[in-house]
Amino acid sequence: MSLKSYSRARAVHVMLVYTGGCNGCDIEIVNCIFSPKYDAEQYKVFLTWNPREADVLVVTGPVTKHNEKPLIEIYNAIPEPKAVIAAGACALMGGVYKNIHGDIPSEEIMGPVENIIPVDAKIPGCAVRPEDVLSGVVAALPLLLDAK
Amino acid sequence: MTVINSIITVIGTLIVALLVSIWLPGIERKFIHARIQQRVGPPISSVGIMAPIKFFFKQTIIPNSPMPRLFNTLPIISLLSIIAIFLIIMPQLYIYTVLTSIIAVVGLLKVEEVIYVFMGSLSKSVMSLKMPFPDIVKGAKHYNIQRSFLEELSSLRAFRLIAFGSFPLYIALFVPVVMSKSIYIEGIVLYQQINGPILFTLAGVLGAIVFFIGYMILLNEYPFAILKTKADVIEGPLMEYAAKYRAYLYVTRGFLMFVLASVFTTLFLGIPPNLFSWNIFITIAVALIFPILMAIMSAFSPIFTYKQFYPTVAGFSIIGILAIIFTFI
Amino acid sequence: MEEDNKITDKKVIETEVTMGTVHSAAIEPYRVRLFVEDEIVRDAEITVGINHRGIERIMEGLPVEKANSLTEKICGICSNSHIWNSCLVAEKAIGIEVPERAQYIRVIMEELERLHSHMLYLAHGNEVLGHETFAMRLFYIRETVMELLRIIGGNRVQYGVSIIGGIRPRCELDEMRIQKIREGLNLIEEKITEFADRFVSDPMIMSRITGVGVLTQKQAIKLGATGPTLRSTGVGIDLRSEMESYAPFDFDIITQNDGDVKSNLLVRVLEIPEAIKIIRQALDNLPEGKITNRSWEMVDAPITKSYIEVPRGTLYHSYALEDGRVRNSIIRTPSIANIGAMQYATIGHHITDAQLAIVQCDPCFTCTDRAIQIIKI
Repeated sequence: MSLKSYSRARAVHVMLVYTGGCNGCDIEIVNCIFSPKYDAEQYKVFLTWNPREADVLVVTGPVTKHNEKPLIEIYNAIPEPKAVIAAGACALMGGVYKNIHGDIPSEEIMGPVENIIPVDAKIPGCAVRPEDVLSGVVAALPLLLDAK
Repeated sequence: MTVINSIITVIGTLIVALLVSIWLPGIERKFIHARIQQRVGPPISSVGIMAPIKFFFKQTIIPNSPMPRLFNTLPIISLLSIIAIFLIIMPQLYIYTVLTSIIAVVGLLKVEEVIYVFMGSLSKSVMSLKMPFPDIVKGAKHYNIQRSFLEELSSLRAFRLIAFGSFPLYIALFVPVVMSKSIYIEGIVLYQQINGPILFTLAGVLGAIVFFIGYMILLNEYPFAILKTKADVIEGPLMEYAAKYRAYLYVTRGFLMFVLASVFTTLFLGIPPNLFSWNIFITIAVALIFPILMAIMSAFSPIFTYKQFYPTVAGFSIIGILAIIFTFI
Repeated sequence: MEEDNKITDKKVIETEVTMGTVHSAAIEPYRVRLFVEDEIVRDAEITVGINHRGIERIMEGLPVEKANSLTEKICGICSNSHIWNSCLVAEKAIGIEVPERAQYIRVIMEELERLHSHMLYLAHGNEVLGHETFAMRLFYIRETVMELLRIIGGNRVQYGVSIIGGIRPRCELDEMRIQKIREGLNLIEEKITEFADRFVSDPMIMSRITGVGVLTQKQAIKLGATGPTLRSTGVGIDLRSEMESYAPFDFDIITQNDGDVKSNLLVRVLEIPEAIKIIRQALDNLPEGKITNRSWEMVDAPITKSYIEVPRGTLYHSYALEDGRVRNSIIRTPSIANIGAMQYATIGHHITDAQLAIVQCDPCFTCTDRAIQIIKI
C-alpha cells in the first residue's frame, strides 16, 4: 500500500448533510460519532462541518426543494477524491415520501439523493443503525484509496 | 568548522522539533480527550501525521476568495514565521544579537495573529452567505443591510485577539526580561545559568501560569477558541483551505505548540533548544506537558464568550503584571 | 420594562450574519439570520419550511392504520408520541376502549422516549456550549435508554408500539423485559444524578448559561410557548396532569423561574427522575389482561381532535374518518409554537449564545415543517 492510500485509510473526515429526513437517521449518525459506545474516531473516522476538509459526505433525508442547491454546492466544494454515502430509506429511494403525488411530479421532494449527486455507497434502514453507518463508511473507503 | 557545526545543529534541531511536534495533536486527542471521555479514541498518528499527508495528496482547488494566491500563501508565511521564532531562540544564532531579542519573538508571534485577520477577510466560504437560499424575499424583517460572511466575523474577533486577547502571553514574556534586565535572549539565558531558572522564583511561577493561559489563547484551544467556535463561525478563518494548504495548517498548529513550549524553556528555564545537548529532553518534556495540560483544561470547559473571555484575560494580565512587580522584590 | 429594551431599533443594526442551512451547531436544516451590532444580536429571523415534505398531504385518503404508521415518520425523536396521538384520535372517533394494560405500556414507552429526548437535548446543548466531554457522557447514558427501546419495540428509533385499540403484540412486556427495564432505570438514575451534580457545580458552565436567552413569563405566554420552555418561566402547565392515561400515576410538574438557558436545562434534568418515577409506578402496578381490543368496527367520523403532552410540549392531531380513510388531517407540533420564543430569546445576546438560545427551546424542525405552504422559487 502506498503512502497515499495508507494515509487516506488512517484519517477519514466525514461531513454530514441533512436534507429533510425525520431526525432519526441524523441522530443515529451523530450518535455513532459522539457516543463513546460506538466512537467512530477509533476507526479513524473524524467528524467535520467544513466541506473543504471532508472526504466523505453522508447524506440523509429525501432532499427537499430548499435543500437541493445547498447539497450540490457542498458536494462541489469537497476536493477530490470524495465519496458520497446515502444513509436511510429516504435518501436511498425516497422512503415514504417517494410517491407523494402519485404520477404528478413532486415540487417538494427532489430526491432521492441519486438524482442530484452521484452516490457511492448506500446504507439501508429506517432509521439506520450506528453499526451500519460505520460499515457504510468503510465500504466507501476503497473508492477513496484507489483514486488518483 | 564551527559554522558547519552550527548549521548542522540548527537544521537537526529543527527536524527533531518537527518530528516531535507532529505527534502532539494525536497525543492530545488519544491520551487525554479520549481517556476523559471514556472511549478508545483515534490512533495517535492519525490526527497529526496521517491527516496532513492525506490532505497533501488531495486535489488542489481554487479557494472562494477575492485573492486566491495570497490566501493560499498565508499558511506558509505563518509556518515560516514560527520557524523563525524557533531559530532565533537557538544559541547558535545569538551572534546576531539585535535579531535574537525578545522583541523579535513578540513581533513574529504578532505576525501569526495578524495572519488570522487576513485569512478571515479573504475567505468567502460556501457555508454562510454563499449558501444558495432565497433569503431576500418580500416580508423579510430587514433588507438593504450589509451582509457579512461568518469568516468576516472571525476576522473581527482576530482583531480583538491582537488588541487584548494575547496580553497574558506578552506580559509573561517580559517577566524574564525584567528579571534579567536584558532584552536579548542570550542575556536571559546567561542570567539563568548564573542565578538558576526563573521558574523557581515567585515571579517565575506566576509568569509561567500566565504564559500557559496565553499559550492556550494563541493556539485557539477551547475554552478560548473565539476564532473558530463551532457554535457560530464553524472553523472561522481556516474554512476555505483545502488540500496541501490545509496540510500546512495542520503542521503549523503542531509546530506552534512545540515552539511556544521551547520559548518557555528558553525564557523560564534557561534551556534553549539544542540537539547536541541532553537538555533537549527537557524541551521535549515541556513540549509534551503543555499540550497535555491544555487538553485537560479544554476537555473540562465550555467555549467562552466575551462575557467570560474579557475577565479571564484581564485577570491573568493582572497576575502577569504582579509577576513583573515581584521581580523587583 | 424589559420588553422595551428588546424592541428593535433599525438604526443600530450594522450587519447581518447568516447561519444555515448546514451548520455545525444547528444539526437540522434551518436558516437563521442574525442582525447584529458589535456582535450583539439585535434581531433574529428564523426561516423554517426547509424540511417540508407534506406528510399531511400523503395522509389524505390513506387507510387509517397506514396513516398512523406514517405519522411516526414525522419525527425520529418523538416518534412514539405521534403514533400514540394519532391512535388516540382514531380511538376517540370510533369509540374504542383500550385495555388498561395497553395504556400502561404506552405510558412506559412515552416516558422512555421522554428520557431519551431530554438526554439528547442536554447532549446537544452541551455540544453547542462547546463541552464535548459532557455531550459524550450524555450520549453514553442515553445509550441505555436506546437499548431498552430496542428491546421493547425492536428498533432503536421508530418502534411503532401503538396500534388502534392497543399495542402491537411484539411490544408486550414479559417478566424478562420488565427486569431489564428496571435494571436500566437504576443505571440511568445513578448516572444522571452524578451528571447533574457535576453539571450544576461547574462554574464555567454556569457562567455561560445563567442569564442567557431569557424569556420572561409574560413574553412566553404571549408568544405561545409550550412544554418545558413554558415551564422554565414558572408556568406550571403540563398536559400530563389532565390526560386520562396518566391519571393512575403520581408525579410532580417541574418548574423553574428564570426562563434562561439554565432554567431550561434544569427543567429537563429534573424531569428525568420524574419520568423514571412514572415508569417505576407503571411497572409496579402493571395490570394483567389483554393488550389489544380487536372488537371494533370502522365507522365514519367527523373531525376529531386529540392533545397530548410530549417531551417538547403539546402535540395536536386531528382528522376525520371516511370509509376507513383519513381526511383533513392536521398536526400541530410543539416546536412550531416555540419558534417565536426561540427568535425572541436570541435578542440581546452575543452571537455565540444565539444558537444556544435557539437550542434551549429544544427545536425539532422536522416536526415543524409539514404544514407550511411552500412557495415555488
